[in-house]
Amino acid sequence: MDEEPERAKRWEGGYERTWEVLKEDESGSLKATVEEILYQSKRKRVIESHGQVRLGMMRHLYVVIDCSRSMEDQDLKPNRLTSTLKLMEAFVDEYFDQNPISQVGIITTKNKRAEKLTDLAVQMYCVCVCLCCFTASPGNPKKHITALMKAVDTVCVGEPSLYNSLNLAIQTLKHMPGHTSREILIILSSLTTCDPANIYELIKTLKSLKVRVSVIGLSAEVRVCTVLTRETGGSYHVILDESHFKELLMLHIKPPPASSSSECSLIRMGFPQHTIASVTDQDAKPSFSMSHLDSSSGPGLSLGGYFCPQCHATYTELPVECKVCGLTLVSAPHLARSFHHLFPLQAFIESPVENLQGDRFCQACQAELKDKSVFSCPSCHSVFCVECDLFIHESLHCCPCCIYRQTAP
Amino acid sequence: MKLNIEGLLVYFPYDYIYPEQYSYMLELKRTLDAKGHGVLEMPSGTGKTISLLSLIVAYQRAFPLEVTKLIYCSRTVPEIEKVVEELRKLMEFYTKETGESNNFLALALSSRKNLCIHPEILHANIVVYSYHYLLDPKIADLVSKELAKKSVVVFDEAHNIDNVCIDSMSVNITRRTLDRCQNNVDTLQNTIHKIKETDAAKLREEYRRLVEGLKEANVARETDIYLANPVLPDEILQEAVPGSIRTAEHFVGFMRRFLEYLKSRLRVQHVVQESAPQFLKDIFDKVCIDRKPLRFCAERLQSLLRTLEIADIADFSAVTLISNFATLVSTYSQGFTIIIEPFEDRTPTIANPVLHFSCMDPSIAIKPVFQRFQSVVITSGTLSPLDIYPRILDFRPVTMASFTMTLARTCLCPLIVGRGNDQVALSSKFETREDFAVIRNYGNLLLEMSAIVPDGIVAFFTSYVYMENIVASWYEQGILENIQRNKLIFIETQDAAETSMALEKYQEACENGRGAILLSVARGKVSEGIDFVHHYGRAVLMFGVPYVYTQSRILKARLEYLRDQFQIRENDFLTFDAMRHAAQCVGRAIRGKTDYGLMIFADKRYARADKRGKLPRWIQEHINDGSLNLTVDEAVQLSKHFLRQMAQPFRQEDQLGLSLLTLEQLESEEMLQKITQIAHQT
Repeated sequence: MDEEPERAKRWEGGYERTWEVLKEDESGSLKATVEEILYQSKRKRVIESHGQVRLGMMRHLYVVIDCSRSMEDQDLKPNRLTSTLKLMEAFVDEYFDQNPISQVGIITTKNKRAEKLTDLAVQMYCVCVCLCCFTASPGNPKKHITALMKAVDTVCVGEPSLYNSLNLAIQTLKHMPGHTSREILIILSSLTTCDPANIYELIKTLKSLKVRVSVIGLSAEVRVCTVLTRETGGSYHVILDESHFKELLMLHIKPPPASSSSECSLIRMGFPQHTIASVTDQDAKPSFSMSHLDSSSGPGLSLGGYFCPQCHATYTELPVECKVCGLTLVSAPHLARSFHHLFPLQAFIESPVENLQGDRFCQACQAELKDKSVFSCPSCHSVFCVECDLFIHESLHCCPCCIYRQTAP
Repeated sequence: MKLNIEGLLVYFPYDYIYPEQYSYMLELKRTLDAKGHGVLEMPSGTGKTISLLSLIVAYQRAFPLEVTKLIYCSRTVPEIEKVVEELRKLMEFYTKETGESNNFLALALSSRKNLCIHPEILHANIVVYSYHYLLDPKIADLVSKELAKKSVVVFDEAHNIDNVCIDSMSVNITRRTLDRCQNNVDTLQNTIHKIKETDAAKLREEYRRLVEGLKEANVARETDIYLANPVLPDEILQEAVPGSIRTAEHFVGFMRRFLEYLKSRLRVQHVVQESAPQFLKDIFDKVCIDRKPLRFCAERLQSLLRTLEIADIADFSAVTLISNFATLVSTYSQGFTIIIEPFEDRTPTIANPVLHFSCMDPSIAIKPVFQRFQSVVITSGTLSPLDIYPRILDFRPVTMASFTMTLARTCLCPLIVGRGNDQVALSSKFETREDFAVIRNYGNLLLEMSAIVPDGIVAFFTSYVYMENIVASWYEQGILENIQRNKLIFIETQDAAETSMALEKYQEACENGRGAILLSVARGKVSEGIDFVHHYGRAVLMFGVPYVYTQSRILKARLEYLRDQFQIRENDFLTFDAMRHAAQCVGRAIRGKTDYGLMIFADKRYARADKRGKLPRWIQEHINDGSLNLTVDEAVQLSKHFLRQMAQPFRQEDQLGLSLLTLEQLESEEMLQKITQIAHQT
């Protein structure tokens, strides 16, 4: 009887005009499509990021996730909340991968309130009193991801409150040292906000504290967000669909340019060595990994690990902030990963496809060049298509042909 | 930038120009070249004002003998101020470019607090003021009658010009008017007595002058110095003031008799409608007042007031009104109707008799303007269909053009919602007005929209009564409560102070992210004068077709007149009138090229070709077949998509070359080709 129980509920969903995606704009240049404009801005982003700018490598980012009623909307599949949390998991992973010496915290807002889902790491105080009270360690995505996975089941009710969420984030961010960046990223689905006081006053405070607020809107452009982002120097984007959403979210992985007024200071860092003592070694003493103290599960005793050069506390994972002496512990590859932000790959030169002599194939993906413009590397003059150009600049951070030439001959 | 418009050097104070501005200037120049009148429609926010000003000023400088003066008429004080601001920018640009201090004199007459009566104003090159200064015979006589013939007159925002003309010629007389008039006449009598004792010579001098007739005025008119006054018909200039009202006492006595007659007419129990000749016959039968002295009434009163040296004319407004009425009723046998209603339609039990002397022919008031000035330009964002204006205003334009808005992105999204989700046809027509299903579906539409449109939504209803009914019904059905979860609700009322308060709070709610809905009425204050830029109006909903209240007797008389005199069918005129108001309402949301907004027409009748075809071209061209008869759900889906597209970053560079041009781009052959297609001649 009930053959397709899942599909049968399609009528309950909203009306969709799926065919419109395929529509072409035939009326020529008078109605330039938004996609064209988007493409231009995509290119621009790649080009823009190549200035020699000072970047805020040590970031403190709060992500505010709207959990209000409108998150139940099904225009993202299966609904906005699930989709957002899914993307956030990927974001957190990628964030720590690219910014190993940064921190992130998550705030949710619903029912006119804001609450912390996960906190930024507590910095260097009250060490010996109670080791169990620490909440999260820097650079450790696991905590956030478990919290995000739990949040899928939250009920979306009421309205969000921009004011309360920003205020909550400020409480922590304002204590962060001046050489680090203070950022808030808001994922806002609702079109209204319920504020206890005048938000424009709060925007002024944010500005004076040099907190950068960016917003990703899930439905439409809201005035107050435009002002908020403009005043604090952040960016404001509204998603078109899921893939665009992901793209916008990933934009925030790259560290923002540091404001010239932020103070410079040298930071003490420890580079612990990984030692693996063999079980046969009689001198080796098993020790507890400090990062597992607060989590009930996971391995307890181990023989090897990373030892803090200052106090010899053991950790199984890096990067981490030493819970005993407060030293930031990183590994050299971590720093190297942040390196490409500072010395990015040069922008490729765009030229029309007609100017190209010889084969019209992309050097990277080997596909035929069909777009009207191609991109060539300024040092090795290899030609790429737009997709590969984006991939090289956003993920690889080095020109594959240059590398090949360096190694081959 | 400096433009070359068919050989005319035009200084344009901005670095970029919209293609339609260039096209507009071309058409305008052709109008001036031909020394004829023009009707030009260009969407608001595309820089109409500056195009007009820069071209006409350039023309004045190039041909100082052909065009001596620009008279720019606008509707409201803020609009006048906007014009002055643009003008200032233009003049600064001139000074900067040419290096010489300019000798242009511009003058704005906005309100009494800014009034200047220096005689130099006569030599001003540009005069900016309100419509009434030119159209209302009472004011025009004071302000505008000495304007030179070689002037260019521009009526901006002129989509309602016929109503302004009609209002300026119509007279409403209530019991209160008559009582005040009675007082005026008494005062006059007393003053005459006093003067007679002190300075009888003055009255004799006046008498002598009246015998000689209104020769002076006649000479003036023949030599073409003054703008003709429609209250002062040509014929009476040739004649002397009739003997029966030549002396001051006789005139006052005459006015008394006339007043008594009007009072008796107001004591009616039923509605009376009659034409001017019928009225004259009746007055002759009852109180033996002839047509001829009535015609001189207005002029005779002016003369008397001058002789008695009465400074405060405002005190005598009642008697002036009555005398104007006397002159008009005896002068025009056609184009006017007299309706006496013993009570208002809404309160049939309370006696409040009104005598409407209503003008049905807008061409009477505007005729002198067309005749006197060499070029008259009528322009607005919504003038469609263009051909109806020359017909109802009775003139022959040399250019009629409608311009579209060139856009780098489609920033307006007109949708016609004809059905609810349950397939019930949505319409505000009389038969279904009380229908529960329709009201519920309207509520549903607003509810769904309130959930997806950011910041401000403006919703227009066809009338206050209709709005009250619907809102009450929504309240009962709980729809209002649901809407309030998404946005705050504000309502326009007939009280001006209340409305401006609501507007202020509405804007505040849009500003701080709470979001708001403004419920207002087509033809109300909000629909005409208030702009909802950017976030103040992301969507406009038009519930129903805003037909005028067709049961009004005045309207019926006017429709009849239009049919008989201009061969315009009642239905055509009513639809035209409804559509121009609908266009005005929805046009509130788009005030420029960077702005964007939804326009939702919630009535299935909009889908018909006769309605749709009367919308301005710049709206019409964005209505495609797919957006004609949508359900609420479909409209919501389209709107969501549209709003997301519009929220993508949009910079000036994206517009450049398409809808915004530099000088080089403008001069390219290809662009000039394209520009010729922008103007749509009719």
